[in-house]
Amino acid sequence: MSAQRLPEEAWVVALSSLPGLGPARLRSLLALGEPEMVWRSVLSGTLPNELSAGVSARIKPGLCGQWRTAARSIDPGAYWQAHVDAGIGVMTQWSASFPDVLAQDDDAPVVLFWLGDIDRLAGTRVAIVGTRRATRYGIDVANEFARELSLAGVAVVSGLALGIDGAAHAGALAVDGAPPIAVVGSGLDHIYPRAHRALWRAVAERGVVMSEYPLGASAVAWQFPARNRIIAALADVVVVVESQSTGGALGTAVEAARRGRTVLAVPGPITAPSSAGTNQLLFDGCGPVRDVGDVLLALGLQPERRRTATEQRPSPIGNAKKVLEALPWQAIPVEQIIDSTGLDLGVVMLALLQLETDGWVAQRSGWIERIARGGAQ
Amino acid sequence: MLATIASATLSGIDGVPVTVEVHVSNGLPAFTVVGLPDASCREARDRVRAALLSSEFTWPDRRTTVNLAPTSLRKIGSSLDLAIAIGVLVASEQLSAEVVAGRAFLAEMGLDGSLRHVPGALSLAAACTPPEVIVSPASYSEAVLVSGIEVRCATNLRELVDALKAEAPWPRPPDETFIAPPSDGPDLSDVRGHPMARFAIEVAAAGGHHLLMVGPPGSGKTMLADRLPSLLPDLDDATAFDATRVHSAAGARIIGGLVRRPPLRAPHHGMSAVAMVGGGTHRIRPGEISMAHGGVLFLDEMGEFGAVVLDSLRQPLEEGVIRIARAEARVELPARFLLVGAMNPCPCGEGVVPSACRCTDRSLERYRRRLSGPLLDRFDLRIDVHRADPRQLIGGEPAEASSVVAARVRLARASAQSRGVKCNAELSSSALETTSPLSTDAAKLIERCLESGRLSARGMRRVWRVARTIADLERYEGALTAEHVASALHLRSDPAFLARSVAS
Repeated sequence: MSAQRLPEEAWVVALSSLPGLGPARLRSLLALGEPEMVWRSVLSGTLPNELSAGVSARIKPGLCGQWRTAARSIDPGAYWQAHVDAGIGVMTQWSASFPDVLAQDDDAPVVLFWLGDIDRLAGTRVAIVGTRRATRYGIDVANEFARELSLAGVAVVSGLALGIDGAAHAGALAVDGAPPIAVVGSGLDHIYPRAHRALWRAVAERGVVMSEYPLGASAVAWQFPARNRIIAALADVVVVVESQSTGGALGTAVEAARRGRTVLAVPGPITAPSSAGTNQLLFDGCGPVRDVGDVLLALGLQPERRRTATEQRPSPIGNAKKVLEALPWQAIPVEQIIDSTGLDLGVVMLALLQLETDGWVAQRSGWIERIARGGAQ
Repeated sequence: MLATIASATLSGIDGVPVTVEVHVSNGLPAFTVVGLPDASCREARDRVRAALLSSEFTWPDRRTTVNLAPTSLRKIGSSLDLAIAIGVLVASEQLSAEVVAGRAFLAEMGLDGSLRHVPGALSLAAACTPPEVIVSPASYSEAVLVSGIEVRCATNLRELVDALKAEAPWPRPPDETFIAPPSDGPDLSDVRGHPMARFAIEVAAAGGHHLLMVGPPGSGKTMLADRLPSLLPDLDDATAFDATRVHSAAGARIIGGLVRRPPLRAPHHGMSAVAMVGGGTHRIRPGEISMAHGGVLFLDEMGEFGAVVLDSLRQPLEEGVIRIARAEARVELPARFLLVGAMNPCPCGEGVVPSACRCTDRSLERYRRRLSGPLLDRFDLRIDVHRADPRQLIGGEPAEASSVVAARVRLARASAQSRGVKCNAELSSSALETTSPLSTDAAKLIERCLESGRLSARGMRRVWRVARTIADLERYEGALTAEHVASALHLRSDPAFLARSVAS
């Protein structure tokens, strides 16, 4: 392919693949001139020392050299073709069809890659975020909110991570509603976490998976907070379901608050480490969420009066009933159930297996978690 | 003149009969030892010479050749000292050949002519062909454990020669100083709370099931493991004999009869693979797994052991013996032990409680890889140990004592023996099916677990055996019920740290 025929995006894509190049540096590089010209000066090592003012992007000594070395091994034409072949959409900040909500952002991604249909971004969006180390409670809540919001026509934005993110996407996919939207922190060919391969594909098919990193970019730690800012920017309301006292979800909340978005938090037990972050958000003045109606209210939508879901699980009998009654709403080890019911291990285990089959409880590494009505299986 | 004396040397833990031939002839004064002696064996020459002179015998200033037959076997250690000394005496005609016929000699010599203990005296005495064996007083208590031989002892060479010549009566063997059999150490009644873990070690003891305990620091894993031997019955004769031979060969003093109580070995995680399975360049020494033969091998902080060390356990776990091959020797050591592992659920230690763990995914991933799947699979029992309920720690009722639990374990083992095995863990698949049928409910339950992928075919057999043991502990004879299987399933749950990452 002759170099002259390449669209402007191709050069931006090539530039975005250079090492140590975040959105800020990319933006200041592109401020120097046409992308093709910038690429050629990176190749020839004739970049000016000072990039645009106001950006802390004074290039570290050596970085130019690294870029030059990296650039030599990249053929922009072939790289561009790889994106086209993989069916990945590419759009720069200056493109006319760049999503409004991101275009207006002061820290917008310079270039956006996506799988699926970018038009599905239209409409109201709510981000459901939270910890990867979620409890059953968090997973149930995330799943249910995503289902209800999706049904109400609100697109659910999340990050395809383990735990809450995954539960939110799974919930949105479980119903025939608004399309799910995922923003990921790696190149679209680097599925991370691997366990979410199927979920990733399903979201791309029904909604859109977006990233600001080109093909071949692996999941590097700093890219996840950066990804969170895009989630925050995309969302009209951010719901933090569960978060430890330090966690990426709190970063999303801060980014959202900075952009004037409403941040809501799901309360949890004050003793649960998995809810320490959300309870802190509540203390700091974020609104609490009691049910999905609270989220819809925050969006200015009239929550439809929904009848509470009817109980479809068969009511437990005998020992299963006794065990279920002894279960609190937090995960407990089997040992404690034996202690509180006075039943034998075998009897308790059989009862739990029955309850598990009927969808009343879930077992996770020896801990028993009670599933709320309509909770995720 | 030629003298031929019977003795023995050690190979692994087995004694091998050795014939010491001493030839004294005219020629330049010289003393050579041939027949693959190792360094400590060659040194015998200096010890024997000094011992003879101190005992007021004469050293033949002639050409002396000592041959150790069979010559193809490397002779290790000092157990041949006494035989060489006696051989020199006979060959130099200071002692008549008749008095040494039909006698074997096993002792190390001191420079003053005293007889000293040699490691593995039990195996050595058992290997000797003559009906009478002469050992040092310190080895006497071990050698008398061998049936069918007469054991004599003497404190020094002069005393021994006088007795051999029948000029003096045989010295009296040392008084068997009565030492109470080593107590089983701590008692299970010290453990408060932990109903599940107590049950698990009871099942482990009754069925011989390997046990992995996963729990946060300070939750009592070590305390529980330390008390496991107190639940085990005495070793049977064959096992006790093997265990005693191993301990004797490793240099431990055997006092008061065979090792009857199951040993507990708890090596540190810094150990090498050779220390675990046995080995060594010259003399092959038994490793921890053989020292634990018949008892418990407790690996605390199992995740910290080297991967090579842990994986070296796999074959002996299956076969009950370890075969060590070196260029010069090939030995087989008994190694049938109950493996008890303890580890933290993750590097930060808090991982048994959902979402309390502070570890990064990467460190968890590394930690998970420490235990290989095949090794993990060999644990019939895998339990989470939680921190005990504080109410039970302070002021709780004292729990059941070891003796009470041990009585139940004995009965359960008796049921296993009626099926022709020592414990249920050894039941073969076919024996399992014929002796322990599943009830309809239990079969359904197992089927369900197989279908859902919770159990593999091998895992199913292991759960089945554990269910058998649980039923044995209840003295239940009929087809195994669903309760038994459900309990066994719970006792073999996936360790928390392995299951955690599949959260969503």
